[in-house]
Amino acid sequence: MGADTKEEILKNLAECVVEFDEDGAREWAQKAVDEGMDAFEAIMDGLAVGMEKVGELYDQHEYFVPELLMSGDALYAGLEVLKPHIKKESVKNMGQVVIGTVQGDVHDIGKNIIKLMFEVGGFEVHDLGRDVPLEKFVEEQLRTDSEIVAMSAMMTTTMVGMKKVIEMIKEKNPNVAIMLGGAPVTQDVADLWGADGYAEKAGNAVQEAIKMISQLRKLQEKD
Amino acid sequence: MSELTPRQRVMNLFRREPVDTMPCFSGMGMVTIQAINEMGIRFAQVHTSAENLARSAKITAELFGFDAVIIPYDMCAVPEALGRGISLYENSEDILYPTVPSKWQSFDEIEIPDDFLSRGRMPLVDEAFEILKSEIDGNLALGGWVLGPFTMAGQLIELDLLLKGVRKDKERVDAFLSQMTDLVIKVAQHYQSIGVDFMNIREMGTGSDLLSPKVWKTLIQPNLEKIFAAIQIPTVNHICGSTDLIIEMMNECGADALSVDQKNNVIESRKKLGDDVLLFGNFDPYGTLVTGDVSEVEPVIKKCIDDGIDAVWPGCDLWPDVKKENVEAYVQAVRKYGKEASPAVGRIS
Repeated sequence: MGADTKEEILKNLAECVVEFDEDGAREWAQKAVDEGMDAFEAIMDGLAVGMEKVGELYDQHEYFVPELLMSGDALYAGLEVLKPHIKKESVKNMGQVVIGTVQGDVHDIGKNIIKLMFEVGGFEVHDLGRDVPLEKFVEEQLRTDSEIVAMSAMMTTTMVGMKKVIEMIKEKNPNVAIMLGGAPVTQDVADLWGADGYAEKAGNAVQEAIKMISQLRKLQEKD
Repeated sequence: MSELTPRQRVMNLFRREPVDTMPCFSGMGMVTIQAINEMGIRFAQVHTSAENLARSAKITAELFGFDAVIIPYDMCAVPEALGRGISLYENSEDILYPTVPSKWQSFDEIEIPDDFLSRGRMPLVDEAFEILKSEIDGNLALGGWVLGPFTMAGQLIELDLLLKGVRKDKERVDAFLSQMTDLVIKVAQHYQSIGVDFMNIREMGTGSDLLSPKVWKTLIQPNLEKIFAAIQIPTVNHICGSTDLIIEMMNECGADALSVDQKNNVIESRKKLGDDVLLFGNFDPYGTLVTGDVSEVEPVIKKCIDDGIDAVWPGCDLWPDVKKENVEAYVQAVRKYGKEASPAVGRIS
């Protein structure tokens, strides 16, 4: 495969994500497989680059949530084709994540995109779904020995539940990293409750999820 | 200076007639844990009893000196009446608002029964309004609210379908939103006939964090215009999140007042709207009344008024677990800084 072909595939994968082209993403992903391209490279330097561009367009008020979700679908379409072809040696095992929206919150579009980003980044994701009773997070972390617990709450009215989960998990396993996401969670709240990270800027969970991808790409690049 | 009753104060404000001082009220949930505790019940028990609903609203208003009462507190009464069920979290020790457990999974499943006003907890809410009406006896203003068509749609169908449908399935989303508009009008007119004094339409899922101003203009605005034209009592158009880009379009919808949250730049909005438009907002109720120190409350409220607000409204429901002293400081600050005329409303001299 020539450098030009590779370049073209990566460029098209990214473009298909930006232009919400699910069929195109699938086709170019297949092309990457057919050409013998490293599948993980196609994901990170193609699909993920497109999603980063989508995040920028959101920041510039060019794209809004409907567009983010459609781009997410295109990314997923490409990911489905590429994932079975990822070579073990090309991806660092990033670890495991327990993810869900806390009890009282049935909004999961942000959580679903965050999950997708973790998958892109090479994590094994244990998705508890939405409206998840607090103790479930603790149980699932213990069961899977996951390094990260990511909780999302879109409503002010449910984020208080996160505090309890953090306390419960930290009590049993202080080394687990806790990530909070969702519109009402601010850095102050995260600090106050002893969380390790939160989705920066209380915009919305979907936007924050996309920003995660840059972080994950950097992590993958590190030795 | 003649003193008005709380209800007169609120009603004068909506008519943009002079008031003695700025009323302290909201078009969103104003129930506090102090009232719930005084009643000896848990938060989960407040939503399923007309008596509890009415009493908790009234006790809260009395405890803190609010000028109005408003019910219900949760967003599930209509979805429940449409057969979507309700999760009440009755066993939870925490304060959790009820949620909708089973949304429609496709546009084909949508079905709105003609008699939905008599299903689920709708009659219970009616009864609570009746209790309140007789107990407050015209002294406090009686507020009601309904979700706007798009936000209501998001309670009824998977958000993912709705949001992507805005781009991918426009015709069906349009048709669904028309149905929702008729439904919202029916609920609002019903509460109007019961004797509610003012009606807040909460179209909170449509801020520019979620939808583009272009979509707002074509998909949200026409439906809101239809709704406000169909209600005779004073109305408020409330949207939370980013509203700077759509504030002028919000004003074109025909409501008597606009309500925005802490994300709105009120100084700029006031410039865009002029001084005749009633503008309510815009403090963060969680940060100010739950987590913040009591000393931080007064400056927050003062800033809302200095920026050009006509009535200081929280940007969302009061989170019930407020600090008592913070709510007291909020009411005191409204009284203290609300003596002077606001942009749209004069003062009785």
